[in-house]
Amino acid sequence: MTDPLSALIGFAMLVAALLVLTWPRVGVVARMRRGRVASERVTMEDALKHLFKCEYAGQPWSVESLAGALEISRAQASETLARLQDRGLVRLDDGDHPLTDEGRSYALRIIRTHRLWERFLADRTGVEPADWHDRAERREHEFTPQAVEALAARLGHPRYDPHGDPIPTASGEMPERVGVALTSLGEGDEGLITHLEDEPEEIYQRLLELGLALHMPVRIRGVDPAGWVRFETDGRAVALDPMAARNVTVLRRPVAPDRMEGAESLSALRQGEEAEVLGIIPACQGTQRRRLLDLGVVPGTRVAAELGSAAGDPMAYRIRGALIALRAEQASWIRIQRVPVSSTPGDRGEAA
Amino acid sequence: MPAVQNAGCDGCTTQREANLVRLGLRPDRWDYLVALAGNPNTGKSTVFNALTGLRQHTGNWPGKTVVRAEGAFAHEDSRVKVVDLPGTYSLQATTDDEEVARDFILFGQPDVTLVVVDATRLERNLNLVLQVLAITDRVVVCLNLMDEARRHGVAVNPAALERELGVPVVPTVAREGRGIDEVMAAVHRVATGQFHPEPYRIARFDDAIEDAVSVLEPGIETAFPGLPNARWVALRLLNADQRVEQAVRTGEIGQLRPDAVAPVLEVSGVTGSGDASAVSEDVDLDEARAVLAEASRLRWTLPSDFHDSTVASIYAEATRIAERAGGGALTRARFTFDRTLDRWLTSRVTGFPLMLLILTAVFWITIAGANVPSGMLATLLIDTVHPILQGFGAAVGMPWWLSGFLFDGVYLATAWVVSVMLPPMAIFFPIFTLLEDFGYLPRVAFNLDHLFKKAGAHGKQALTMTMGFGCNAAGVVATRVIDSPRERLIAIITNNFSLCNGRWPTQILLATIFIGALAPPHLAGLVAAGAVVGVALLGIVFMFITSWGLSRTVLRGEASTFSLELPPYRPPRILQTLYTSLIDRTLIVLWRAVVFAVPAGAAIWLVGNVSLGGGTLAEHFVTWSTPFALLVGLNGVILLAYIVAIPANEIVIPTILMLTVLTAGMAGVGEGAGVMFELDSVADIGTVLQAGGWTLLTAVNVMLFSLLHNPCSTTIYTIYRETRSAKWTTVASLLPVAMGFTVTFLVTQLVRLTAGG
Repeated sequence: MTDPLSALIGFAMLVAALLVLTWPRVGVVARMRRGRVASERVTMEDALKHLFKCEYAGQPWSVESLAGALEISRAQASETLARLQDRGLVRLDDGDHPLTDEGRSYALRIIRTHRLWERFLADRTGVEPADWHDRAERREHEFTPQAVEALAARLGHPRYDPHGDPIPTASGEMPERVGVALTSLGEGDEGLITHLEDEPEEIYQRLLELGLALHMPVRIRGVDPAGWVRFETDGRAVALDPMAARNVTVLRRPVAPDRMEGAESLSALRQGEEAEVLGIIPACQGTQRRRLLDLGVVPGTRVAAELGSAAGDPMAYRIRGALIALRAEQASWIRIQRVPVSSTPGDRGEAA
Repeated sequence: MPAVQNAGCDGCTTQREANLVRLGLRPDRWDYLVALAGNPNTGKSTVFNALTGLRQHTGNWPGKTVVRAEGAFAHEDSRVKVVDLPGTYSLQATTDDEEVARDFILFGQPDVTLVVVDATRLERNLNLVLQVLAITDRVVVCLNLMDEARRHGVAVNPAALERELGVPVVPTVAREGRGIDEVMAAVHRVATGQFHPEPYRIARFDDAIEDAVSVLEPGIETAFPGLPNARWVALRLLNADQRVEQAVRTGEIGQLRPDAVAPVLEVSGVTGSGDASAVSEDVDLDEARAVLAEASRLRWTLPSDFHDSTVASIYAEATRIAERAGGGALTRARFTFDRTLDRWLTSRVTGFPLMLLILTAVFWITIAGANVPSGMLATLLIDTVHPILQGFGAAVGMPWWLSGFLFDGVYLATAWVVSVMLPPMAIFFPIFTLLEDFGYLPRVAFNLDHLFKKAGAHGKQALTMTMGFGCNAAGVVATRVIDSPRERLIAIITNNFSLCNGRWPTQILLATIFIGALAPPHLAGLVAAGAVVGVALLGIVFMFITSWGLSRTVLRGEASTFSLELPPYRPPRILQTLYTSLIDRTLIVLWRAVVFAVPAGAAIWLVGNVSLGGGTLAEHFVTWSTPFALLVGLNGVILLAYIVAIPANEIVIPTILMLTVLTAGMAGVGEGAGVMFELDSVADIGTVLQAGGWTLLTAVNVMLFSLLHNPCSTTIYTIYRETRSAKWTTVASLLPVAMGFTVTFLVTQLVRLTAGG
């Protein structure tokens, strides 16, 4: 019979080997998957994307900016550009706008794939927002043109990706981005968030943690000398450093007063209290939002917190006649206005 | 009685039948087809059962994990086919359920769509009714749960509702069968065209949406003259509904006009045109393509909250109609009994103790109640019928291998499964169904959700897990109540960690022989019972750990939503429940188990009797696998027993006994090679096992392995049917075995290490 100590040591080594292989992000399998993607074609496609983004944003480009964006050496960057020129996708003598028409439509197709896939992840899966970009960066190189169109049709030809960037159409049209950077607003200005930049990831992560999302209303309270922007959104006060504030785009427009102060969320309602729904916050998207809408959570709906569970969460609410249990997290997505506890019209038949 | 089949349009009928076959319907004969739609929890299946009297057939929608029931009834001289659509809150086609329901109503062209409505939640149910009315004129509304509405002080006026909706509204109490005849009559009137519904259609959405619709609608009407729902088609195109776009592009939508296929009476005499494959000549495909292009341009002009505002408009209409019909929303429960009961059953103080008490009672009744009938069945099927069969085989001169294969192998395995499985299931499932009917089970999910949420699971998993203690296959089927894809997969994969009733006897037997014996005699029973409960609790711990792990790794990307509706308490109908749960759950599961037990019995007999090079297959396998088996503290006999007994955990112990006697060459015990047996005295079983080399450690490992191994083949098959995915079926099958080997390995080696050191 095997010696138990060596059997256990052997087992521990096997487990360790498996972990090294399969650990997310840094494991061997994950590295290999990433390595496979970093092929020549992928580098070229990423280069086209970079050139297009510079052109779209009206910024100058250089071999250095390309090398930096793709995390490759200058020599590799030049080599990639030469290859693109061979294929007629760029014309390097054309200074500021090196993309040929063909190169531009190639770049637009990659961007279209990227943004459609992000839309897919947001609408149809439970993948965390912070992971959308990385996954789309991988998948954008794996689609055939037909598969992209099938995906677009399946998603109902969406117009914007979940960060608010417009998705280029199949024929390569892309509308201009609307709005200005949060930093260019002054005290008292109001608007709606139309875009949250997803790169770099650390900043995007911070924006998400602050609960910012597309279509959220903002009102600037002030900008301090160091450049920090203080503003209120959905009834909360938020402050952003200048770096992060530049990554938030806002469309200037007046904001309905009920979206700002005094709006509470349903999770604040105690058992026995009643309220009227003002709306579902923009951060709640996809299947979660549709489910709430289908249950009748639309502006004007009366809700009453009727029954707490033994553990306190979830809470059961009377919504359009039905008793529906919602988790605290879901209730926090629903904006409400308290109303006095009603004695009508449900009182019919009380006497009977 | 007019004939409802349309003789003038054979082609159209063929086209529709092709559509129906594609939608998964069996092509048999009927005079008209009824689709049954409704919100979840409205008593839709009660209406279905009341209409069809349980003459039903269940199946899956093609390519989807959505289950469908079909049935039929006769009314006057017509044969009516009823298809039960999945219960949905809306028809936006954003989930599989919604897509299936919407596709059937649109493309299956039922002669009547019967929408079941809960009279106590009229507003929310009208949301669905209004969406159905936008698609088809041929609707009958079944206003169910009228008794409950009255009890809760909601007085809905069916006549007023009928005036508002423009389609027949029939009040019913389906649980008592009241109003069902009237439903049949109304369905008949609409199907035969005696009643011409003029459905109410929402006239006003937001301005931007109305503008876009008014641009598209004329084009659609030009392209497809006579289309009954051009406005709805326009809205769906603005929504970029892929299926509808495709139907417009190919002209298929033009086939869906009522005159194209509807049953035609002598009076009307209208006939559709055309042959099954060709598009009707009055359909203008160029115009259709122009409409599609226009729709995709208009989409850019719509507000970003397009979907929200459509839903809000429909609900505004629903509220208005409900108020006119007298069924405005209750703002709070009005029924004192319900509220008092809820206060006890969901309170912080009494909620959990009451839950434990009720569930313990259910298990106790099951175990105590099943003992006697199980014993009687075993005496009858194994001790009496089996020898008779053997005698019969000998009398007609059957060769020994044939009678051995048939009677000792196939028959005995089946008999064993039936006698162990049937009684506990016949007791457990009806009690469980009664609690469900009464409305208590959703409260259990409500109370436990907090705990399950921490493991990334849904509160309703508490119910499917409990169901698993009866039978894992039934537990897997029960996960249909979880309507969030990620949480449902978690519940399916982890259901096997509930110790099912096929495994309880193994646990009790081994605990009695090996663990009870460690304690002083007067405590032996208690210690053994404690060990079994301990194993079951360990299963729950593994269920939570695995759920947590799955939700954070492989299932991270699956979509997830939570909603849990707490229905009002309803007085349970005991006899009906006994009958339906016996048919629905017990017999179906038992039948599947028997189907799988037959080949298992054959395999068991064969491995004990087929010899190769001087030893039976069993002996070869045992010799070959023992080195590995010892590493995990088991032995080759146990491994072989678990492999051949994959179909049913019930026959593991008899198989182990048979194989032990066979391979250890014991004389005078058992029934012969390949014949499973069990001994009357527990002590005798202990003697056989100890002779086979079992120690306390072996017994503990078998108990652990019995908890942590692959699901039985019935369950594996059920998992495949429910998930339609080879990948998740493989994960659900192999994950527990891997865990079982890991746990038994660690236990064995650690025990050896401490004992040696």
